[in-house]
Amino acid sequence: MSPGRVALFVTMLAIAVGMLYPFWVMISDSLHTQSQFISGSGFSLGSWRQLSAALPVGRQVLNSTVICSMSIFVILAVGLPAGFAFAKLRFRASSLVFLGIVSAMMVPLQAIVMPEFVNVTRVGLTSGYFGAVLVYAALGTPFSIFLFTTYFRGVPDELVEAGIVDGLGYVGALWRLVVPVAVPAIATVTVLQFIQIWDDLLVGLLFIQNTADRPITVGLAALASGRTTSIPQLMAGSFVSALPAMLVYLGFQRYLVKGLTMGIDR
Amino acid sequence: MAAITFDGVTKIYAGKPAVDSLSLHIDDGEFMVLVGPSGCGKTTALRMLAGLEEITSGALSIGDQVVNNVLPKDRDVAMVFQNYALYPHMSVAQNMGFALKIRGESKAMIAEKVRAAAEILRLSDYLDRRPRALSGGQRQRVAMGRAIVRSPQAFLMDEPLSNLDAKLRVEMRLEIARIQRLLGVATLYVTHDQVEAMTMGDRVAVMRDGHLQQVATPQELYDRPANDFVAGFIGSPPMNLLTTRVSHGADVTLDILGQTISVPTRYAAAFSLPASGEVTFGIRPEDIVIATEGLRARVERCEALGAETLLHLSVNGPGASQHLVAKTGPRTSIVAGDDLSVTFALEHAHFFDVASGATLRAAS
Amino acid sequence: MKARRLTLSQRRQLAGVVFALPALALVIGLIAIPIGQAVYYSFTQWDGITTTWIGTSTWTQAFHNSDLWTALKNNAMLLLWVPIALGLPLAIAVLLHQRVAGWKIFRSIYFLPTAISWVVLGLVAERFFAYQGTLNSILHAVGLSGVTTNMLGSESTALAALGITFVFTMIGTNTMLFLTGLATLDPSLEEAARIDGAGRWRIFRHITLPHLSRFIQLAFVMTVIALFSALFSLIFVMTGGGPGYATTTMEFLIYQTGFSQGQFGTAALYGIILFLITGAVGIIQLRLIGSDK
Ligand SMILES: Nc1ncnc2c1ncn2[C@@H]1O[C@H](COP(=O)(O)OP(=O)(O)O)[C@@H](O)[C@H]1O
Ligand SMILES: [Mg+2]
Repeated sequence: MSPGRVALFVTMLAIAVGMLYPFWVMISDSLHTQSQFISGSGFSLGSWRQLSAALPVGRQVLNSTVICSMSIFVILAVGLPAGFAFAKLRFRASSLVFLGIVSAMMVPLQAIVMPEFVNVTRVGLTSGYFGAVLVYAALGTPFSIFLFTTYFRGVPDELVEAGIVDGLGYVGALWRLVVPVAVPAIATVTVLQFIQIWDDLLVGLLFIQNTADRPITVGLAALASGRTTSIPQLMAGSFVSALPAMLVYLGFQRYLVKGLTMGIDR
Repeated sequence: MAAITFDGVTKIYAGKPAVDSLSLHIDDGEFMVLVGPSGCGKTTALRMLAGLEEITSGALSIGDQVVNNVLPKDRDVAMVFQNYALYPHMSVAQNMGFALKIRGESKAMIAEKVRAAAEILRLSDYLDRRPRALSGGQRQRVAMGRAIVRSPQAFLMDEPLSNLDAKLRVEMRLEIARIQRLLGVATLYVTHDQVEAMTMGDRVAVMRDGHLQQVATPQELYDRPANDFVAGFIGSPPMNLLTTRVSHGADVTLDILGQTISVPTRYAAAFSLPASGEVTFGIRPEDIVIATEGLRARVERCEALGAETLLHLSVNGPGASQHLVAKTGPRTSIVAGDDLSVTFALEHAHFFDVASGATLRAAS
Repeated sequence: MKARRLTLSQRRQLAGVVFALPALALVIGLIAIPIGQAVYYSFTQWDGITTTWIGTSTWTQAFHNSDLWTALKNNAMLLLWVPIALGLPLAIAVLLHQRVAGWKIFRSIYFLPTAISWVVLGLVAERFFAYQGTLNSILHAVGLSGVTTNMLGSESTALAALGITFVFTMIGTNTMLFLTGLATLDPSLEEAARIDGAGRWRIFRHITLPHLSRFIQLAFVMTVIALFSALFSLIFVMTGGGPGYATTTMEFLIYQTGFSQGQFGTAALYGIILFLITGAVGIIQLRLIGSDK
């Protein structure tokens, strides 16, 4: 290797260290008791052992998982048919409706959070997961529809028509022909939404009233705002919460990249 | 199985008719080829029959049922698409059995029908493959297989051979015709290739700009084209069409740029020629004979095709010339630049109205 | 039977409407209607239960409220970090694009923080900036003990700490975008330029950068939108908007006004302002995506 390449390699190694810093902090800080942490010496697994007393991680990870799954299910259940409709069924004014839905991508939740909160509370959905699921689904649907519509437009019309001549209705054509062909697009939406929803704080904070139903991010934020929080425990909890999204990311990296650069790389 | 009837069927796209009052009857078991240049409305006609396209006006029936508003799945027709449209996520066997599966037939029954169809199409060794792992010809046969396992009321095929290379196309031409005769299902086959039309169809329907020009057997189309368009479209190279001035004497005399040819009355009698004025005189390249005297022409170009030679001739008059193609035998000594004389096998002459293009052949 | 009389295309259109309807209902019910409500409530005295129409006075009051201006100013100050949030990833992407040994592993590592919640990154950042945190250890180690600070604790530095954290959180996404852009660059172009004797910088400046312009635009828009609408988690765990209002941005101001002070109408009004800001940026993004077709 030339000296230039070596310098390059070293630089990249240094950046890698920087990017791994959060993981190092979470792991190393969690391997103390609170007193060891303050004094700056000694190691212990104590914080990990007592983690569930401070933070019901098991329950909260389960909550996060259920909320993510339900939201993604709703997003796919409404997004796939809509994408199919906009790409292949073309009803009157469909391109206008499509434009309207896609524009909703640009609306940040914060801009409408007051009426949203009041509405969802008024219909009594803030007890249990459903309020949060509905809000996540509404926020995730526009992008998913954009992605599915773009993808379905690339599926030849003849594929659908062959199925229809073979005896399928539109529902059958969607589920038995288009959806199986659209697995990469579905994976992209699923992975993007999983990470987005798993990592979110605001919706979980406002739209889930019962402490027991809290997702892990809300649990962490609440724990962090406590006065006597043990930092090693907080870091242990952080690590637990980061793990699932990291694994999903590592497993499906290419779908993530695809979704992120949708519409621009071609 | 059933007959198919287009009765004044029209399709209008954005104010412009793509198919204009098409009336066409396809008998049960008949192989009907719909032929015409690209953009003439063939696909549109086929798609209306499949139920993939709305009919603007007219009535379309399968058997004795008008199907204008019947859903595709209730029409029981099978379609072969130009690009095959195989289901990419299914194996060959699943592709072929899919329509049966939708209709809820038993697994054993489906397997048996797929096996039988695969036998006919010589696909038995490929049943577990995905379409992506097949050659173009094999994909084409799977598309055929998907249609034939269903034993439908009718087969609809839209240029099914146009994505194949020339050799395979000739092979599949025979293959499709053989299978259709074997199964005896009414078939509407769309192509822009007149050779396919002539070799495959029981009858051929020629279309142009959304209008049906003529429906007839291949031989009839060749011998008695209804107008100059059909005459020029069927046959390769196409019929020569010359503008001539007609006059009647003992024989009928045609004036071509100052030169005259006389048509014996016994041949001219089959046509109702005007007493004077212009008519379009049609003669096929194979009906032109090189002779020592006759119509003088200059050889512009010689195309040796092996078994035969095409001579591109020009007939020159004062300030104008007309082009003519003649077909002669192989190994000719004629070269470009030669002057020669030709006569015509006038028993095979055609006459068309100059303005409308319609044949002047008297109704028999 | 009525269904019998529908034509084929009517049936197709009907199916299309039915298929699009659930999504449409979701978007109308949870996004479009709340926008309308927010506009309406911004003209009322509203505590979430009772509304009293008070006309434009909420608006005039709001614009005399120093909190709003502080939040807008904080957002504006944070915008200064956007060039870094783009430049750093661009540099990293260019390094990755050299495809040095193990570059794919580096790529995965660089993108890894993208998967982590900003709640967690905020907690980690807090550890970094804390008095006994990493930053001060580093300063100490390089002999700068004199400048050790508690960045999050001081009004003058807290926003900068937030900006630095923001830059860190954007590195993964933006690097990913730029790397994708670089991958679509035809290598023969660079080669030709090199043969013509162009230096590295000139190649970057005149070939690579113009090629990336669309990706840079998209990254810019996404970064700005994130800055206005995705910092909530970071602020919530790092500073709570403080000290004072030093790190209160528009989105955090909405949360505080509505949920800590119970002034729903004013919070809805702030939401409209945020909506207008991101909407303007969003229109640019739509045009970027749309111009592709
Ligand atoms: N979906 C459509 N919308 C508008 N015009 C169409 C559509 N499909 C076909 N056409 C027009 O109708 C005419 C006939 O097309 P088509 O049936 O595809 O011709 P062919 O199959 O004979 O080549 C063409 O002029 C074509 O441009
Ligand atoms: Mg066609």
